[in-house]
Amino acid sequence: MISHRNLGLVAAAATLLAAAPLSAIFDRWTWLVQSTIAVAVVAAVAALARLGRAPRWGQVLAMLGGLLLALTWLFPSGAELLGVVPTPATIGHFGALAEASLADMRTYRVKVPDTDPMLFLTVLGIGGVAVLVDLMAVGLRRPALAGLPMLAIYSVPVAIYVDSVPPLPFVIGAAGYLWLLAADNVDRVRRFGRRFTGDGRGVDVWEASPLAAAGRRLAAVGVAVAVLLPLAVPGLSGDLLDRLGSGTGEGTGGAGRGTTGQVDLFSALQGQLNQGEVTDLVKVTTNAPSPSYLRFGTADQLRGDGFRARSPSGATVNREFSPTVPDREGITRARYQATVEVTEGFDMPLLPVYAEPVQFTLNGRWSYDTNQQVLFSNRERSPGKRYEFEYVQSTYSPTALRQARPLPAEHSLRRQTATPTVPAVEALVDELTQGHHTEYDKVRAIYDHFATENGFGYALSTEGGTSGQEIVDFLTNKVGFCQQYAAAMAWLVRAADIPARVAFGFTTGNKSDGDAYVLTNRNLHAWTEVYFDGFGWVPFDATPAYGVSGAVRSDWAPDLDAEEEVTPGPSATAGPAGSGSGTNQNQVEEGLEEELSGQSSGTGTPTRPGSSWLWWAIGALALLMLLTAPALQRSTLRRRRSGRRMPSATSAGVSTGGMSSRDQHMVVLADADRARADAHAAWDELLDTLVDFRQRINRAETPRATASRLARDTFRADSAATSAVRLLGRAEELARYAPDPHPGEPLLPALRRVRAALVAESDRRTRLLAAVLPPSMLLRWRVAVADASARLVSSYGRLRAATLRWSPRRLLTDRDPR
Amino acid sequence: MTQQTRDEVDGLLPHDEFRAVGDAIVGNIEQVIEGKTATVQLALAVLLAEGHLLIEDVPGVGKTKLAKALARSIDCSVRRIQFTPDLLPSDVTGVSVYNQETHDFEFRPGAVFANLVVGDEINRASPKTQSALLECMEERQVTVDGVTYPLQTPFMVVATQNPIEMEGTYPLPEAQRDRFTARIAMGYPDAGAELAMLDGHGATDPLESLRPVSDASTVSRLITHVRQIHVADAVKRYAVELVTATREAPDLRLGASPRATLQLLRTARAVAALEGRDYVLPDDLQVLAVPVLAHRIIPTADAHLARRTTDTIVSDLVHRLPLPLPQERRRSSYDTRPATNKGRAPYEPRRA
Repeated sequence: MISHRNLGLVAAAATLLAAAPLSAIFDRWTWLVQSTIAVAVVAAVAALARLGRAPRWGQVLAMLGGLLLALTWLFPSGAELLGVVPTPATIGHFGALAEASLADMRTYRVKVPDTDPMLFLTVLGIGGVAVLVDLMAVGLRRPALAGLPMLAIYSVPVAIYVDSVPPLPFVIGAAGYLWLLAADNVDRVRRFGRRFTGDGRGVDVWEASPLAAAGRRLAAVGVAVAVLLPLAVPGLSGDLLDRLGSGTGEGTGGAGRGTTGQVDLFSALQGQLNQGEVTDLVKVTTNAPSPSYLRFGTADQLRGDGFRARSPSGATVNREFSPTVPDREGITRARYQATVEVTEGFDMPLLPVYAEPVQFTLNGRWSYDTNQQVLFSNRERSPGKRYEFEYVQSTYSPTALRQARPLPAEHSLRRQTATPTVPAVEALVDELTQGHHTEYDKVRAIYDHFATENGFGYALSTEGGTSGQEIVDFLTNKVGFCQQYAAAMAWLVRAADIPARVAFGFTTGNKSDGDAYVLTNRNLHAWTEVYFDGFGWVPFDATPAYGVSGAVRSDWAPDLDAEEEVTPGPSATAGPAGSGSGTNQNQVEEGLEEELSGQSSGTGTPTRPGSSWLWWAIGALALLMLLTAPALQRSTLRRRRSGRRMPSATSAGVSTGGMSSRDQHMVVLADADRARADAHAAWDELLDTLVDFRQRINRAETPRATASRLARDTFRADSAATSAVRLLGRAEELARYAPDPHPGEPLLPALRRVRAALVAESDRRTRLLAAVLPPSMLLRWRVAVADASARLVSSYGRLRAATLRWSPRRLLTDRDPR
Repeated sequence: MTQQTRDEVDGLLPHDEFRAVGDAIVGNIEQVIEGKTATVQLALAVLLAEGHLLIEDVPGVGKTKLAKALARSIDCSVRRIQFTPDLLPSDVTGVSVYNQETHDFEFRPGAVFANLVVGDEINRASPKTQSALLECMEERQVTVDGVTYPLQTPFMVVATQNPIEMEGTYPLPEAQRDRFTARIAMGYPDAGAELAMLDGHGATDPLESLRPVSDASTVSRLITHVRQIHVADAVKRYAVELVTATREAPDLRLGASPRATLQLLRTARAVAALEGRDYVLPDDLQVLAVPVLAHRIIPTADAHLARRTTDTIVSDLVHRLPLPLPQERRRSSYDTRPATNKGRAPYEPRRA
């Protein structure tokens, strides 16, 4: 019974471990706490039921009852008896929760916040799995079957994240499953009685047994293959480096997850921009005479390396939206209409709209976040969408903006003024805003700072710096593209206590016909938006206009380099390719490159033709190296062995002269060592060659016996080879056992002779194998691996034995250590 | 004093001379025993290793003939004892009799006072008499009435026994068997050798015309030479491992004694010298393992029931035991056993 209780605990723990993938779905960890409670209740009830020797169906009923009680306590409807006993009202409440959870699933996108319906569904699911796992592992003693319900949990995030599921939770879940299997087998072994070694030492049940080594290796290899294979296969789930770099695959706030065709809403302060070919992303038709930037995302979470997007939230688009700020003097509003067609190249759960849309004509489940001013969906993707909307285009006069007052202290946007503390930045902001009293003037002062006359320029990549702060590096080097400008300005404005964020979108692009604009990946852009109380979010584009094709400047944020000659168009090869991104939070270069080129073509496979060829070439080269490694190592070994100076025939003249005179003895001694080493090398080479050619090696056989066996069986017809192999045998024999080791004949030709004879004897397949995959090398590697694992096992055993001394079980009870 | 006797022999024999003498003796014996070169060589090796020989085989294959031929080939004193159930220990060792003339007890040496003692049908004597040989075989001396008499050098006991017929016999005790360096079986001659025997032995016994080709002093020099044969450390380790393996083999109730190790190596030296080598090979040990070890060990009841003789058990061990490598390369690349601490496998079976 004790072992059954143990197994029940392990089953419960394994269930919880298998639930680890759900962490990818929830924003917080409340679900884990509640699930733990439910699973613990189920396990405890099961243990009690087994203690009372309840039949199997009784155990299941008890566990289900326990789960019901746990759910009642966790999600009360208020009508329970004593808080835990469910009433019909509770059941009704559960039904309502289940229904609401369906609605929630439609409403929220990952990562979901903690809502009661979702939590209820999760706890119910995990609790149910716990019941099933317990039944299969303990009741039916079929722990392997228990993997199926565990797999069911894992399939939930797989279904939601179509393309990338983090590998770590899978490893945790797999570890739980393996633990369950191991616990069950330990239990089985224990039924045989105590294990002990030949010398009478007791063996702990958990101590690794050499008999089970194969199982352990298989388990480890299985998990490793399951995790690594998808990573290594390109095209299955993104690219190898991409995935490795992205780690858990989350972290962009859910807006873009770093797959091709998407724009990651991350405005980095450092990076490099690589432009692939031009692809049409969006076609927009508007009746506005001078349309502003089309935008589809914002990033307002500031980190040390840039701005990051949050998940948007908002209501569905089937109603009319009013502008967030009332009309007032200084704001000129005009209502326009726009039609947008999204091509296949732009694949996001977001749709581009002009700022301040008021009415949408749009099919599907799309919602509008009035705060971030983005149109988003949890379900649908943008490719192929065509929609119309009305929007309000606002222009602001600088005079009116000067009247904007500082944000009230309790304003909710206050939190968007938080910045990491960087003294250099604060000093710069203080210097810039000194003498300016209105909010707008401060922002303008910062905006003006990014002018060309201050040394700022456009480049496709940032330069490295030594400060350790990417913002400081950028402000010092003054070179970058739109991301850096947008992020840096937003940072500086925030440092001046004014809310600011980075917006992502398209510049106006080229007019194709009439009112239609075709926007390509080169029109992708990022700029800064500053919040003025009473005016709302006002865009500022600090990126040097010469670097941005289709840049539009306004009265309140004029082109700082207006007097310079701007030549947009084809000559502006350095056109911005938009907001790019890095999936890697720390170092964005590779991610950026990947991201942008991914957009440029819009489909997954033909991305980066050059670099993918490079990867293939590197892969092929690695494969080739892997395949040729045994042969190369073998030939290196052979060369090293034959590189020794084989004993010359002259030195054999001193044989039996070892004791004749003392002087000569000394000379012979040095020579003897060399002769010994030579003979050993030749013999080792002979053995390796024999193994290569599939000849039997017997470790109980003396060199003489080996040589005569070969002479008798293998080289029956070849007298030269017979004498050669006998010579080698005699040389090794002398080197090992005789006082004077000189065989009197050179060994190298004999070795060659034997090899030639073996080649002549063998069939084609053996010859090929001996040349390409020498079995001796493979055996050597295998032995090395086995040795390493044996060392690992024995050191683990020692560690266990050492820790066993301090085990609380031993200290608390008097029973004998097993 | 035997040591002294050996030291008196000065100078070493060159290999060639040694080999010539050895070949001469073997050739001489082969005039009588045809087609049994290996057996004859082994018998000679036992003599040179200062050991004793037990020849065990069915009747009529020439056990006694071999013993006598060996004795005759060397010009030295030979005594023959026919062991019978009524033989007394004093017949073997000697007895003190009262001399009327000197009015004193006088020691009359027994049969063991010779260079070569041939004990025929040794298992027919009572254990009491068999035990009389214990002291002389190991310590090469005889103690009678409190007086210790040294035996001659070289000294060798060649005993024969018949393993088939057990009626009226007393099996040799363990201690006695352990004192025999080697036990050899004659085996039947092949057809050709038997034909030649019919021709040679038809009219006269060739044993009668056998002339000695060596003498006791030459044999002493040969023995001294044998003691100088080089034995590498690896070979010594191999001998120890071989003997240890018999002690750990699950089929065996009793393994070989340390004396067995000593005699194994000594005989191996003699074999190597007879082959003209100045160093011992593991091959020598492998060849000698069955003759030297098989008669000292006792199989378990299970092995006995499974009809596994000690010979097969020992040769199995020899075939399975890996060869030790020279000190500088302890681990072979083809040693696929997992490396364990102190060379002990973690789950080594322990013998009961």
